[in-house]
Amino acid sequence: MKGTYLGEFQELVLLTILVLAENAYGVTIQDELGSRTGRNISRGALHTALTRLDEKGFITSEYGGATAERGGRRKRFYKVTNQGTKALEESKTLRDQLWSEVPKVALGKS
Amino acid sequence: MSSTDENRPPKSAYKLFKWFCDSRYFEELQGDLEEHFYRNRESLGHKKASSIYWKSVLGMIRPSVISQIKIKYPLNNSAMFRNYSLVALRSIARNKLFSFINIIGLAISMVVGLLAIAFITELYSYDAFHEKKDRIHRVIITQHEGDQEPAFYASVSPLLGRQLETDYTSFEKVVTIYRNLNGDVKKGDNTVSLNGFYATEDFFDVFTFPMIHGSPSSALSDPFSLVLTETSALKVFGKIDVVGEVISWNNQNQLKVTGVVKDPPRTSHMNFQAIASFGFLEKLNARNTGLMSWQNMWNSHVYILLPESGSTTNLQADLDKIAAQENPKLYNSSFEPELQSLTSIFPGRKLNNQLGARMELKNINYIVILAIIVLASAAFNYTNLSIARTLKRAKEVGVRKVVGAQRRQVFLQFIIEAVIVSLMALVIAYFLFQLVRPEFLSLNRDIQRTSTLELSAIHYLYFLLFSVGVGILSGFFPSVILSRLKPSAIVKGVSRLKSASGLSLRKLLVGIQFTLSIGFVLLVGLAGKQYDFALNYDLGFETENILNIYLQNNDVDLLSNSLAQLPEVETISKSSWVPSVGGIWTNRGKYIEGNDSTTVNLMNVNGAYISNLGHELLAGDIFTDGLDRTQIVVNEQLVKRFRMGEPIDALGKRVRLQGRNRTIVGVVRDFQHATLDNEVAPFAFLSEPNGYRLLNLKISSDDMAETMLKIEAAWSELDPVHEFQAFFYQDRIERAYASLSTSTKTLGLLAIIAIVISILGLLGMAVYTTESRIKELTIRKVLGATTSHLLRLLSRNFVIMFVVTSAVAVPLSLYAFKELIIPGMVHTINIGFWDLSRGLLIIFGLTAVIIGSQALKAARNNPVKNLRSE
Repeated sequence: MKGTYLGEFQELVLLTILVLAENAYGVTIQDELGSRTGRNISRGALHTALTRLDEKGFITSEYGGATAERGGRRKRFYKVTNQGTKALEESKTLRDQLWSEVPKVALGKS
Repeated sequence: MSSTDENRPPKSAYKLFKWFCDSRYFEELQGDLEEHFYRNRESLGHKKASSIYWKSVLGMIRPSVISQIKIKYPLNNSAMFRNYSLVALRSIARNKLFSFINIIGLAISMVVGLLAIAFITELYSYDAFHEKKDRIHRVIITQHEGDQEPAFYASVSPLLGRQLETDYTSFEKVVTIYRNLNGDVKKGDNTVSLNGFYATEDFFDVFTFPMIHGSPSSALSDPFSLVLTETSALKVFGKIDVVGEVISWNNQNQLKVTGVVKDPPRTSHMNFQAIASFGFLEKLNARNTGLMSWQNMWNSHVYILLPESGSTTNLQADLDKIAAQENPKLYNSSFEPELQSLTSIFPGRKLNNQLGARMELKNINYIVILAIIVLASAAFNYTNLSIARTLKRAKEVGVRKVVGAQRRQVFLQFIIEAVIVSLMALVIAYFLFQLVRPEFLSLNRDIQRTSTLELSAIHYLYFLLFSVGVGILSGFFPSVILSRLKPSAIVKGVSRLKSASGLSLRKLLVGIQFTLSIGFVLLVGLAGKQYDFALNYDLGFETENILNIYLQNNDVDLLSNSLAQLPEVETISKSSWVPSVGGIWTNRGKYIEGNDSTTVNLMNVNGAYISNLGHELLAGDIFTDGLDRTQIVVNEQLVKRFRMGEPIDALGKRVRLQGRNRTIVGVVRDFQHATLDNEVAPFAFLSEPNGYRLLNLKISSDDMAETMLKIEAAWSELDPVHEFQAFFYQDRIERAYASLSTSTKTLGLLAIIAIVISILGLLGMAVYTTESRIKELTIRKVLGATTSHLLRLLSRNFVIMFVVTSAVAVPLSLYAFKELIIPGMVHTINIGFWDLSRGLLIIFGLTAVIIGSQALKAARNNPVKNLRSE
């Protein structure tokens, strides 16, 4: 687990990329995250998260699809690596375990 | 999606982002930002989208985005520059011929540039010594009269100054100056004649003419006060501390000296030896109500000092008000006042009735344009030869680039090389400048009077900047071409670069040079011919050996009797002015019997004048002096204009001129009474005995200098106070056409420079062409080409170029001659075939010699020598 710690925001980014599947690049990720969390996410912050994920080897990226509305610049599409999926799964398992052990009482009545 | 600028994301934010963003991420991030921006723009509008964009860019300032600080410029700059200079010097030393052509060509043309800089900075230093110069304005007027062309004057009625002073407040101070103060100042036995003007009280508060003795603010308040310059005070009193002394003015008034000022600097547009109070002028004109009339605008000038941070708008409104109130008093004419700032008086626009020195702005523009043309021509040489030699430097560029030089650095290297050449040229140009300076000053009387071309520190700075500028300009194209070369192309083989760009540019530049050379040569020939033509034009009367002497208020009979005793003086006549040299005097003339009127040129003479000057009488006789002052002698034009018939029929007819009915007693053949810009018009000699201003002496003498001394001695005996002023008629005619002679000399100088430069350039190109084609030529020779064949091959291009440039240059120079050199001349030379072909032949001959000698050298070479060494 050490060294591959997944921060909360990074985890959300990873998941979003998975959700977006083939269409995950800067703008879509930012929008998706923004609409789901209701938070205003800056592109700068997203970039930091993406570089961190890239350094850990959780995502890869490749260029493609230039459009006029981007001033002719190419998009960079992100993909989650196997390592990334594993990290997500680990994180989920950990949470599920913890959830399952939480006493019903502690949750109060819904 | 439109991509015009205003639809784009804010530019500054974009630039900022590009600057700090790591280049690895820039494409992705900028693309994302832009995509977002356009979407926001659709839904939120441009303004909101822009502000979001700005916010996002600022949000990007974080370590993961910002590029690592990279060292853009290596720290060994000085070593680099040293290397560039070294390489430049080596290359200059290695190609002695090309360096010589470049440096000498640039130096020669730079002289023109240096002259222009020195001359123009000097002109613009005029009136700069006035402390309040930025707030002083002069009133100038435009006169509209009937349907005539408007006339522009630097003068305005003193009434304007008076009215401003009494009724208006939109300014701080106003000064009225009235020209033509001249008189004999007498102190004891010493009499000195002084010139200057009358001025109102505030003169010394507005203008900065430092007062050595006396009080500036009150010096002119008393009507009987006089302010002298240092020099005049020394002349009159022999000392300068003379405030309070009383002198006699023209033997009529007693004036008290109230101040002594430093002599006005040479760079002042107004000049004076003495200033009297405006009040004195009013006392002198106590019975003359015309002084303060609105139409008396010939001699007076109004200067206005604005308050600090004041504007001219209110003042202009006041001037308009005064004009609107006064103009109705004029008959069929109106004056429209306008303000001209002190600093734009000299050099300034063309105005009549200037107070002092004048220099038209137009002349300065001509000088600048000519300097630019000549300089460009020399810069072309550098550009041309450098581009031609691109191939030789290509390997060097290749090596530099392979080792890691960026394009910018290679560019800089070649610019530095050009600047070094230009600086070398500056050194030579500076020495040439010192040589040419006296020549330039003697070109023209206006130049001599207004400038000295002395250099100060600021000039050296200008020269240096100028030279660096010339270097950068001339080195620009070669540097672009050389720095564009790709190392891979160079490595593949220099020969493949041969068709490198710049060939057509080169042809164009050489073409322009040749057009200039041909143009200047043609213009010199034409201007010179026109000048000769003007001097030798048959005026219709004799001017040979006629000496005109100004009377200067001396008694005309006394002087003429005493001069008549000299044996060298053949005949003497009297006249009011000198025709054919620029002046005119006209009046409305009414033909009484014919009931017709026209403008008639007039001149007051005695009867002897007509025979003395060799006018040919066609009918009647000259008038007899003193008998009848209403007799006139007219020219053929007047007879024709009034349809009097034959000259003989005109005798006895009457014409009303100058308020009197006058009878025609004689008719003379038409003569050129004005300069050659004018047609011969109706003319009449009047016989009014008063109003002579000159004596015309016909002199026959073997020793002119001796005779002049005798005449001068006779003058001094009669009038010891005033200086003897006389001139030979022919000299004055030469002066009337001085501008033509100046043009000829200037053009001559420029023609020589232009020819030298283009010949140098041509020599360079010829050497280069033959050198680079030497193998081809040798092979042709081996295969059997004759020398003449090779000659033709090498010179064909130049002949084509010569024909093309001649076709451009000839009409251009004809146009320039008509429009710029002799605009408005009525009597002009006929431009014949030879006038044009002579100039062309000169240029063609020089070209042929240079190209021919180079081609011959190449064609005569021993083929073995060139083929053996590969």
